[in-house]
Amino acid sequence: MDLKVLVFAPLIFSLIFLLPIFSGRSILIRRIAKTLAGIHFLYSLMFLVFFDNSQTYNYPTELTFMGQKWFGSLGISLSMGLDGISLLFVLLTSFLIFIACLASKGAVNSKHSLYYALIFILETALLGVFSSTDMFEFFMYWEMELIPMYFLISLWGSGNAKKSAMKFLLYTFIGSLFMLCGFLMLYNFNFISTSQLTADISSLKFDYDNAPMYLQIVTSILILIGFAVKLPIVPLHSWLPSAHVDAPTPVSMLLAGVLLKMGAYGIMRFNIQMLSDAFLILVPYIAILAFINVVYAAILAYYQVDIKKIVAYSSISSMGLVLLGLCSSNSIGICGAVILMLAHGIISAGLFFVVGIIHKRTGTRQLVLLSGIASVMPRLAGFTLILVLASIGVPLLMSFPGEFLIFFGALISSLTNNYLIQVVALSSIIILVLAACYLMKLMHGVFYQELSEQYLKLKDVTVNEFIVLFTLSLIVIVFGILPMSIIDIISPYINVIVEAFGG
Amino acid sequence: MNFISDVSNSMLSEFILFITIFILSVISMFYNLKFHKLSKWIALIGVSFSLFSLKFLQLEPIFYAFKESVISDTFTVFIKAVILITAFIIILLSKKNVTKRNHKTFQFYTLLLSAVLSSLFVVSANDFLTLTVSLEMLSFCTYFLIAYKKGYLSKEASFKYIVTNSFATATYLFGVSYLYGITSSLNFGTINDYFLQHEPTVFYTISILLISVGLLFKLAILPFSNWILDVYEGSATSVSAFISTIPKIAVLAIFARLLVFIFGYSFVLPLILIFLSVITAVWANALAIRQRNILRLLACSSSANVSYMLFALSLVSVYNLSTVLFYLLTYIFMNLGAFSAVIILENSNYSSKLYEFKGFAYSNPLFTLAFAVCMFGLAGFPITSGFIAKLYFFSAIIRSGAIFIPPLIIMALTMAIACYYYTKVVKLMFERNGISENEILPHRASSPTVILYACAAITVLVGIVPVGLIEVCKFIAYNL
Repeated sequence: MDLKVLVFAPLIFSLIFLLPIFSGRSILIRRIAKTLAGIHFLYSLMFLVFFDNSQTYNYPTELTFMGQKWFGSLGISLSMGLDGISLLFVLLTSFLIFIACLASKGAVNSKHSLYYALIFILETALLGVFSSTDMFEFFMYWEMELIPMYFLISLWGSGNAKKSAMKFLLYTFIGSLFMLCGFLMLYNFNFISTSQLTADISSLKFDYDNAPMYLQIVTSILILIGFAVKLPIVPLHSWLPSAHVDAPTPVSMLLAGVLLKMGAYGIMRFNIQMLSDAFLILVPYIAILAFINVVYAAILAYYQVDIKKIVAYSSISSMGLVLLGLCSSNSIGICGAVILMLAHGIISAGLFFVVGIIHKRTGTRQLVLLSGIASVMPRLAGFTLILVLASIGVPLLMSFPGEFLIFFGALISSLTNNYLIQVVALSSIIILVLAACYLMKLMHGVFYQELSEQYLKLKDVTVNEFIVLFTLSLIVIVFGILPMSIIDIISPYINVIVEAFGG
Repeated sequence: MNFISDVSNSMLSEFILFITIFILSVISMFYNLKFHKLSKWIALIGVSFSLFSLKFLQLEPIFYAFKESVISDTFTVFIKAVILITAFIIILLSKKNVTKRNHKTFQFYTLLLSAVLSSLFVVSANDFLTLTVSLEMLSFCTYFLIAYKKGYLSKEASFKYIVTNSFATATYLFGVSYLYGITSSLNFGTINDYFLQHEPTVFYTISILLISVGLLFKLAILPFSNWILDVYEGSATSVSAFISTIPKIAVLAIFARLLVFIFGYSFVLPLILIFLSVITAVWANALAIRQRNILRLLACSSSANVSYMLFALSLVSVYNLSTVLFYLLTYIFMNLGAFSAVIILENSNYSSKLYEFKGFAYSNPLFTLAFAVCMFGLAGFPITSGFIAKLYFFSAIIRSGAIFIPPLIIMALTMAIACYYYTKVVKLMFERNGISENEILPHRASSPTVILYACAAITVLVGIVPVGLIEVCKFIAYNL
C-alpha cells in the first residue's frame, strides 16, 4: 500500500503509450488503457479497505531524491498522505478515469496513443492535487493538470475547440498566479510568526498577532480567486460552458466530474481551515456569490438550446450549492458539500456521457431538432431518467443527502449575526424548482415527444455504453440509500476543519 | 612579477581567451577559406581551457588585481563559468548557421570570442574605467556580429543598435563623470567608502540614474529597448542567441555588484527600476502576442524575463540575489534550447516564421517534445525548471515586503499572457499542415540537435530536483 505508487503509476502508464510499438494499433491501445485504468482503480479501492479514520494522515509517504527533500532548505517537500476527504476524491478520480477510458470508444478516433498518454498524465496531476500535504506540491500538481487538459480539449474537441481550450488555460493560469501570490504570503507570514520554514498544510498557521488582519484578508482573497476560477464562482465562470461543450465526451466527463471539485477542495483546505478568521469576515460576500451562482446559472441553463450547454450550466449551479455548504462552516454543511461534490461528479459524468451518445447517434445536440427518441432508445431513456432525477435531488438518490445537509447546515449556521446565510439558504431552495424545470425540459424535449422519421433507425445503447451507464446509475442509487457510509469516513476530518468555528 | 601574479590569480581565463583570439586572427591571414572547420575547433579548445583555468583562480580572500581595478571572488568566478559554458554552447550552435551564409568563419569566431572576453572583463570590473572600456568593447563586437549576416535587415539592425547604444553610452559616461566629480575616484571601493562617511546629495542620485541608463540599454528595459526586435530578427540566429544570453549575464552581474556597493544609498533607484521592470514586462508580453516570427517572439520573451530578474534584483538581499541567479541559469538553458530549435529549422531550409512549425508533432515527435519542454519551461509550467524559478521569484518578492504585492500581481498577469503565446507555438506544432507533410528533420546527432535535447533534459531535471542548484545559488549570493 504505497501512495507514491498510486500517484505515479499513471505517469509510467503514459510513458508506455508513447512507445513506438503502439503506433497505429488503436484497438490494442484502448484495451491496454482500459485494463491499466481498471487495475489502478482496484488498487485505489485497497486504500479504502485499509483506511483508518482515527489517524490524521493515512499512508503518509515522501518522495526524496537521494535522501534530499525537494527544496530541502526551504521546508518544501514532496510529501503525500490521505485523510478521509482526499481519499474519497482520489477514489472518484481513479474511478472516473476508468469510466472515461471506457467511454472513449467511438468518441476518440485519432492519435490514440497520445490521447491515452495525456489522460494518464492528467490522472497523476489530479491524484497529486488531492493527496499532497505540502502547499507548493499542491500548487505544482494544480498547474501540471493544465497542459494535458489543454491538449485534450484542443486536439480532440469539436466546434471552436482551440479557442475554448485557450480560454480554459488562460483563466486557470491567471487564477493560479493569484493563488501562488496568496500561498507565498501564507508561507511568509507563517515563517514570521513561527520562525519555521514549512509549507506543510497541517502545520501552517496565519498567526494574526504578528500580521494585521487586512493582510490575512488579502491572502484569503488571492487564494480564493484561484479556486473560484476552477469551481467556478460566477463572474469567473465563462470558460466553463465553452470548454465543456467543445471538449470530447470523455474529457467533459472528467472536467465536470473531477476538475471542478478541485476548487471546492482547495477552498475547504485553505480558506476555511487555515484562514478561518478571514473567512469569517468574507463569508457574507461569498454566500451572496453562491446564491448568484445557483440562480443565475440555473436561469441560463433553462434558456440554452444546446443540450450539452444545459448540462454544463447545471454544473455551475450545483457548484454554487457546494459553495453555500462551505459557507455554513459547520460540520453538517461541509459534510453535505462533500457528498454533493461526489454525487455531482458521478451524475454530471453520466449526463455528459448521455449527451455524447445522443450526439453520436443523431448528429445534433440542438434541443429543437431532437424529440421522442425514448421509443427507439428505451434503455438510454431509463438511465437518463435516473441521472436527471438524481441531479434534481430526488430522495433516495445520491445528491439528495448532499443538498439536504447543505440546506440544514446553512439554516443552523451561527456564523453571522444578521441571518444572512439563512436568508440565502432559504432563497436558494428555489434551485430545486429551477433544476426540475431545465432538466425536465431536457428530458421531455429529447425523449418524450413525437418521434420524427429520421430517428426511426437509431440503435439503443451498446454493451460498452450499457456498462458505463449501469455502473454510474448503480452508484447513484446505492449511495443515495446509504449516505452514512460516506459520512462515517469524512466526519472526523470535517470536525478538524471546522474546529476554528467551534464545530 | 606583480603583473604575472595578478594575471595568474585573477585574469587567467581572460588571458587564455586572448591568446586564442590572437591565434585565430593570425591564422585567418593565411588560411581564409580552406580550413574553416579548424576555426571552430580552435575556438572550442580556447573556451574549454579558459573554463578549466577558472579552477586555479584565487577565491579566498577576495583578490584585487591591477591596482584594485579588477576583482576576483567566488561570485565573479561563478558568473565567468556560466558565461564560458554559454559561449561554448553558442560556438557549437553557430557552426552551420554561419558557414552556410558566409565562409569567413575565422572572423566570426574572433569577434565572438572578443565579445565573450569583454563580457568577462565587465564581470570582473572593480572600477568605472575598466567597466567603461569593457562595455564599449562588448558593444563594438556586437555591432559587427549583428551586421555579419548578409542582407539589408542585418545592416539596418546593426545601425539601429549603434545609434541607440551611442546615446546610452554617452549618458552612462555623463553619469560616471558626475560621480567622479563628487568622489574624485573611479574605484568602487573608494566610492563606497566616501558615501559611508558623507551624506549622498541629489547629484549622487542623478549620477547613478544616468549610469543605470547605460546598463539598462544592454538589458533592453523599456525606454531603451526599441532595438531588440529588429536586432533579433536581423542578425544571424546564433548571434541572437549570443545577444540574448552573454551580455545579459554580464550586465546583470555587474548591476548586482553596483547595487550592493554603490547604488545602495538612494531609495529612488530601486523604485524606478521596479517601475521600469513592470512596464517592460507589460510591454514585452503584450508585444509578443502579435508576433509572427519566432525570433521576434523570443526577443520579447528575453526582454520580459530580464525584467522579472531586474525586479528581484532591485530589492537587494541575499535571498533575492540567489533568486536572480537561479532564474538566470534556468532561463539560459531554456532560451538556448529554443534558439537551437530555430537553428535546426534554419539548417533544414525552413524560415523562422511561426507557421513553419505546423505539423511537426507528426513528422518529428522527439523534436516537438524537446521544443515543447523549452517553451513550457519559459511559460513556467510544472516539472520544468521555469516553474521552480517562478516560484522562487514570487517568494523572493513577497519576502521583501507586502508593499510589492501590487506590482507583483501585474507581473503575474503578464506571466499569464506569456503562457498564452508560448502555448500557442506548441499548439501550432500539433496542427495539421494543410499542404503536405513536413520533411523529417535530420536525426543524425548534429550539434544543435544534441544541444536542444540536452537543454530540454536539464530543464526537466532541474524542475524535478532543484535542491542542488538552489544551494549553489544561495552560496554564491551569500559570497557577493
